[in-house]
Amino acid sequence: MTNAITKPRRWDPIVKLTHWGVVTAVIANAIFTEEGSGWHIWAGYGLAGLLALRLLWGLIGPAEARFTAFPPSPGRAAAHVGEIRRGDLVHRRSHNPLGALMAYAIWATLLVIVASGIAMSGPPPADPAAVKGEQSEEQAAKSDLPSFVLQTLIPPARADEDEGEEAGERAGENESDEWLEEVHEIAVNLLYVLIALHLAGVVFETRRSGREVVGSMIPGGNRRT
Amino acid sequence: MTKTLGQSTQYRDRQTLLVAAVVAVQAVAAVFFVADALGDFAADGMTAHIAIEAVIAFALLAGVFIGAAHVRRLLAEARRREEALAVAKGALADHITARFADWGLTAAESDVALFALKGCDAAEIAALRGAAQGTVRAQLSQVYTKAGVTSQAGLVSLFLDDLL
Ligand code: HEM
Ligand code: HEM
Repeated sequence: MTNAITKPRRWDPIVKLTHWGVVTAVIANAIFTEEGSGWHIWAGYGLAGLLALRLLWGLIGPAEARFTAFPPSPGRAAAHVGEIRRGDLVHRRSHNPLGALMAYAIWATLLVIVASGIAMSGPPPADPAAVKGEQSEEQAAKSDLPSFVLQTLIPPARADEDEGEEAGERAGENESDEWLEEVHEIAVNLLYVLIALHLAGVVFETRRSGREVVGSMIPGGNRRT
Repeated sequence: MTKTLGQSTQYRDRQTLLVAAVVAVQAVAAVFFVADALGDFAADGMTAHIAIEAVIAFALLAGVFIGAAHVRRLLAEARRREEALAVAKGALADHITARFADWGLTAAESDVALFALKGCDAAEIAALRGAAQGTVRAQLSQVYTKAGVTSQAGLVSLFLDDLL
């Protein structure tokens, strides 16, 4: 049954859906949504759900999608660099050891982003369009809007914190959130670096071992017929 | 038109994709719902409303697990079927080669016989091999004689007989 070895790699639909869903959410939050806005938080929660599903799939999915198929191992990664140097092509059903390290790095970074984001935002707002981003929110806080309007504009967890404070006294609240904001921002920047490396890795591996790399991840790719 | 094995594989792939997509939507919904329920709990404490939300949250999460397990089963089944089919294909190919050798078919006759088994008629085989139809007809009748049958259907049924 040599075909088990030579069969082209094809990620299963859960891996594909979670990958492209996460990509969509990251692009949405990096480019399109306003920082801290309702849509930003919604996209963030969507990302959290897809990431959770992928991590669950790493425990119960088919063999090549499981964490055990691509353990995070610097030793194997070093051996893989040796393979690349010698020009050896080893066919794998799962991630190559460098790709595995990249996947774990991206997941860990996403978890930090999600955790810091949720810690700042609280539960998802009922109406994403009602919660404005950072700047508009501060403008709202400075304006003379009655407090019940602010309560609906600002996510509940934050509104709770604000209860004892004057609406104009935003500085204190900002301080307690400041380090979360810092963590969120640093992790996001780290994610950009990792994505650049990831794309470089995909391009490199495609040059080295062919279209199968990208085909394995796109819908309908790497069909045998 | 007949449904080929490839088409039914594609159909099953689409079924699996559909279930997987539902599971993905459900996972996202579950995270939203649980976060929302936790927000309600933080705001109002334990109320009847929260109790109901907790039940729904549990059902959603259970749905994700069961859905994921279902996708996994579908994938495993598809893979088993694929492997069994590959083994059967290999075995059938070996068997056909062996029978052709038993009958003493020449290389050209074996080619023609294989096309005949796949359901091609003389004209199609001639086009595929770039040969004259008359030549192919002569080769086919040689094949039938050597196999002890009188028609293409007879030739096919020899192999079906072996399989059933
Ligand atoms: C990978 C996707 C994400 C990207 C690229 C991203 C990007 C950013 C950036 C650049 C900021 C501005 C940071 C700053 O002001 O220092 C921001 C703020 C924020 N993000 Fe995200 N974010 C992502 C995911 C999330 C998630 C998952 C959540 C939560 C569910 C979230 C919630 C927030 C909130 C509440 C703020 C406002 C912080 C403030 O009060 O200034 N983000 N995000
Ligand atoms: C926001 C941007 C992106 C992020 C955060 C990201 C993240 C990831 C992660 C975490 C994996 C591991 C997949 C898993 O096991 O579930 C992966 C794999 C993969 N990604 Fe991306 N990705 C991004 C963009 C892209 C793009 C634009 C492409 C298109 C060329 C791409 C192509 C691939 C491929 C081909 C794999 C599979 C590699 C393999 O077979 O080992 N990714 N990506």
